[in-house]
Amino acid sequence: MTGQTVNGMVASELSSLRSTMQDKGVMFCFSGFMTESILTGIASAVRQKLEVEDADRKTVMGLFSIFVELVQNVIRYSAEKDGVEEGDKLIDLRYGVITVGRRDDSYFVSCGNMISNKDVDRLSTGLQKILELDRDGLKALYKEVLKGPTPETSKGAGVGFIEIARRAPNGFEYGFEKVDDERTFFAVRAHL
Amino acid sequence: MDPIKIEASERSPEIDFDFAANRYVVRGESYPEDVSAFYGDVLDKLEEHLDGVSDGDVEFTFELIYFNSSTAKVLMSLFETLDECAENGATVKVIWKYDEDDDNMLELGEEFAEDLEHASFELKEIPVE
Repeated sequence: MTGQTVNGMVASELSSLRSTMQDKGVMFCFSGFMTESILTGIASAVRQKLEVEDADRKTVMGLFSIFVELVQNVIRYSAEKDGVEEGDKLIDLRYGVITVGRRDDSYFVSCGNMISNKDVDRLSTGLQKILELDRDGLKALYKEVLKGPTPETSKGAGVGFIEIARRAPNGFEYGFEKVDDERTFFAVRAHL
Repeated sequence: MDPIKIEASERSPEIDFDFAANRYVVRGESYPEDVSAFYGDVLDKLEEHLDGVSDGDVEFTFELIYFNSSTAKVLMSLFETLDECAENGATVKVIWKYDEDDDNMLELGEEFAEDLEHASFELKEIPVE
């Protein structure tokens, strides 16, 4: 037998991570490479947890919807990635962090991932534009984007953040932290 | 054209397209991994068929619980296709069903319907037990 089988650090490290999360009101947390099946699994657990808590339908579906849009953003756009070719199919893994929680009777979803420095300005301008709109403005932009052509860099509709703004009655915040010459960490938190 | 029947999955809706009767239904949840892969072929066939319809009744029923933003883009284009079919002479009725406690789905239906100029639109509340 080599190595210790009982190691207090194993429990204390994870217990401290769990406490940090609990102090912040976090109910769900995932940090790692995301796939569509992780999205499905966690999203349905989030929905079940809120239904158990008797949250109203608008909150349950709003939170679920924001979760889906944010995770799909990571899967499509995170600049931190890994991938393998399996036959003629590329298995694409993208790294991101997502948490869902509740503080003071209000739910939140936070999500972060790496992006390229060159994308910071474009993303920031787009988000600022969304944040300045009222409900009618958001609706008009939503429909305009739905009717427009899909941008070439987008694998989805390019409408995710408008959806998030519309589903988050208490709005959302975002921020950037430059990591190195190539990459910046981008994070967003929506409040319901 | 042969009817199309696709069973619902956790992330994709049931599709029931009866081209001969011009009755179409999309029902369930919609946030597929790849929206184009799921809807592309089905909606191409629908568009191809409706292009040749210039009279008679066409009825399209949506009964959705949740759809993501990529699906919303597909729905917008589907509403345009249906409205064009009505413009070409068919009597097109779009039915939007929603659970009675789902105000959000009601509003989304109304928003999509705002742009219909030729097709008729009907909201149908589904009673929740």
